[in-house]
Amino acid sequence: MFKVTFAFENGSTVEAFANAGDNLLEVARGANVAIDAPCSGNGACGKCRVQLKGGELDSKKTLHISDEEYSAGWRLACMSKITADVEVLVPDIASAYKSRMKVADLSSKEEIAIFENAKHEVEAAGIELTNSLDVVEVHMEEPSLDDTMPDNERLTRALRKYMNLKRIRIPYSVLRKLPDVLRSSKFSVKCVIRTTPDDMFVYDIFDGKEDVIIGGLAVDIGTTTVSAVLINMETGEILAKSSSGNGQIRFGADVINRIIEAEKPGGKKKLQDAVIKETINPMIHEMCRSIHFSEQQIYRMCVASNTTMNHLFAGINADPLRMEPYIPAFFKTNSLFASDVGIEINPDAHIIMAPNIGSYVGGDITAGTLVSMIWNRPEFSLFIDLGTNGELVFGNSDFMMSCACSAGPAFEGGDISCGMRATDGAIEACTIDKETMEPTYKVVGDPGTKPVGLCGSGIIDVISELFMTGIINPKGKFVREGKRVRHDHYGMGSYVIAFEDEAGSVKDVEITEVDIDNFIRAKGAIFSAIRTMLNSLDFDVSMIDDVYVAGGIGSGINMANAVHIGMFPDIPLEKFHYIGNSSLTGAYLMLHSTPAEKKTYELASNMTYLELSTVPTYMDEFVGACFIPHTETSLFPSVLEEMQKR
Amino acid sequence: MPFNQKPQKFNAKINDVTIGSGDKTVTFGGDCTFPFYSFDAESENSPKIGVEISDMGLEGVSEGIKAYYEGATTMGEIAQKAAAMEGADFVALILEGGDPNGVNKSIDELIEVVKEVAAAVDCPLVVEGCKNVEKDAELLPKVAEALQGRNALILSEKEENYKAIGAAAGLAYNQIVGAESAVDINLAKQLNVVTTQLGVDAKKIVMNIGSAAAGYGYEYVVSTMDRIKGAALGQNDNMLQMPIITPVSAETWNVKEATASEKDMPEWGPQDERGIDMEVETAAADLAAGSDAVILRHPESVKTISKLIKALA
Repeated sequence: MFKVTFAFENGSTVEAFANAGDNLLEVARGANVAIDAPCSGNGACGKCRVQLKGGELDSKKTLHISDEEYSAGWRLACMSKITADVEVLVPDIASAYKSRMKVADLSSKEEIAIFENAKHEVEAAGIELTNSLDVVEVHMEEPSLDDTMPDNERLTRALRKYMNLKRIRIPYSVLRKLPDVLRSSKFSVKCVIRTTPDDMFVYDIFDGKEDVIIGGLAVDIGTTTVSAVLINMETGEILAKSSSGNGQIRFGADVINRIIEAEKPGGKKKLQDAVIKETINPMIHEMCRSIHFSEQQIYRMCVASNTTMNHLFAGINADPLRMEPYIPAFFKTNSLFASDVGIEINPDAHIIMAPNIGSYVGGDITAGTLVSMIWNRPEFSLFIDLGTNGELVFGNSDFMMSCACSAGPAFEGGDISCGMRATDGAIEACTIDKETMEPTYKVVGDPGTKPVGLCGSGIIDVISELFMTGIINPKGKFVREGKRVRHDHYGMGSYVIAFEDEAGSVKDVEITEVDIDNFIRAKGAIFSAIRTMLNSLDFDVSMIDDVYVAGGIGSGINMANAVHIGMFPDIPLEKFHYIGNSSLTGAYLMLHSTPAEKKTYELASNMTYLELSTVPTYMDEFVGACFIPHTETSLFPSVLEEMQKR
Repeated sequence: MPFNQKPQKFNAKINDVTIGSGDKTVTFGGDCTFPFYSFDAESENSPKIGVEISDMGLEGVSEGIKAYYEGATTMGEIAQKAAAMEGADFVALILEGGDPNGVNKSIDELIEVVKEVAAAVDCPLVVEGCKNVEKDAELLPKVAEALQGRNALILSEKEENYKAIGAAAGLAYNQIVGAESAVDINLAKQLNVVTTQLGVDAKKIVMNIGSAAAGYGYEYVVSTMDRIKGAALGQNDNMLQMPIITPVSAETWNVKEATASEKDMPEWGPQDERGIDMEVETAAADLAAGSDAVILRHPESVKTISKLIKALA
């Protein structure tokens, strides 16, 4: 047995024990040290770098570590075996930021506005903002020697007086508190109840003098990022908001790798724990602590996520999803409760889920479709969710069609050497001077925050600017030379956006040809999916009236740049609308409003699913779209014009 | 009702690209119809045939080919015999000995061969690299330099090395650039776009869109060529109007139908005939699908395809 010490840049350490020959990345995973390894430890991505501080490691040398870096102690964790006691530094580089949790500051009203706006829109469409949770005040006669009815019957009888319901259920969690609360409140209490036409469920009981807030939790589980809001179920007010990297990320960057990992013995439990115990529960605690709210007072939860994520969340075998004929265990289910999956809120809280449409179009899309309101308009709209899986919905109030394409994690900063989520330190916008090739950029966070990496919107800007200034060619290869353009000894080019001394991390913030290539494939997947879906309906892009873009790729996308790189069709920019994380907004609406929940089920069952892999021309479209802006330049007349102007 | 012929007219044509210098030149392309649709419009230049010789001499070639070159001992003599072959329009020298995974001849050694061949024949020349992208990136610019004034076709640049080869052949030494892609209309067009963005004249590019021996995934080749011609003529796509050259022999002489000996496969018949059959079948299909030139090895194949072109064009 050897001792392995993981040191962090903030000075804390984690110790673990390992046998000779154990893989360092596995040891880290076992010790809950999050080292980002999007490629699942195959030595392909070069993200799991650690720095050897003491002791020794048996590490294979790889292309990802230069000679200087190797002599400075940098190693890939996945390529390192334990041979002795060892101490390694887990660096604070972009990828490590990825998993850092963030409780949003709600003082900025922009965040709130998205939810408010969505609420008003569904209300205007005739959907009532009501749900079945309620607080009722109950006054009972105090028991005496003449009135010896037990506490639970007393409460039941009193409740029945308010609502004449046959069945009233009092769960163990309430029964346990019942005698104390009744007596301390002198039999004047408030109950949190859920009523349906024929029964009532008592979630909780409080002293009648207390102010009771019914908490609700809406969660968007993304493959890369998880975000959540804690709300007041009565008013719909957002009480707290939080986001965090999905703890499953260390088991692979995309859904397929996760499913494969879940198939291994004990894998389902591991992945479920990673998303619930390591990601969602800490977020719940963090949010509750920030507003001094009790977790027990969260009585309902709504999850919107892609099909794989909701299967893994529920601990259900997701294997059939990735194999023909791609059948999920459920599209919708209402049989999940917090205590079933270990979500640390009220154990009886019901977990509702945004319904899936297919194995690759999940609840995140149905929730997003609800928010986009395309179902309520006669004009043709296109809804695009930019995530690890890119999903599209096209249609209007008469029909809707959906499809999914595998875009990879690039929009959320994955598969990009300096990629990161849109949190502090992320470059979210950038311009480049054509003459000097010098960049100007904007960083997420307080003024003065140093750049650490690039988030999705930043990558779009950088690639668009590199292309429009002629620094890269349409294939994404560097064709101009300068101080900021470098080539490694394999000839791979890169552009430095922030040199080490201006950056807030241990290395330069740069974008390489491999990054650009990954991103071109991601944008190509999106654009070709748009074209293929429209072609299948005999439509073309000029017939789109509005485009709603969702996804946590930054505070906003520069739509002009997204068109320049050929990610979105070349239509007037005013047709594009960024609607933020619509999956979370949709989950929020479903949570707050039972009619909205029902509407979402209805939308899901009315949507046609187009499986792109069965469309013979998709591959052709895809290869054509893997070029900036497109092999068929006539599809992007405004980009050509703009280039000539520059 | 009498048959009323309606010619299919396109307002576009394939570029005509001429290789060779002096009075010995050949021109590829120039047509404004689908291949051999002479009923739609007169063909300007019928498809051309190149005879392939290798820097490895006669090593490994079939008996029939060996017999044709009997008596030729130097590369110069081999080239002369190739140029004299009945039906031949140009000579294609493939530098397969340069492959680092094979004989790995040095670049100087290969340039000597190129010079010897160039000195021996005055017909138009095509030089093919060793197919290794790194080696070709060094070798083919040297070839382009050595052949200055010959207006030769350099086969070929690929996406990975187009900058080195495209710039040397198309800009510095004024040769014709061969642009090779992997059987995909979009990839073919993308390479043409980036090559022209280097500054190479679109009219000095010949495409090799990739090939296969008939029966070896060949449907993709047909469909790609067909769609390239369709886009070039029907949509007037000037990034796909380059003529297409297809090196046939390098594919067909390496498949089992051509390499299995008669001893091993008596029921398949004589080996040489099988090789010719593969070459002729593939070349005929390439021409019918849209190739403006093919490269062959066996004198019998060259004769047969030449006859086919005369009969159809």
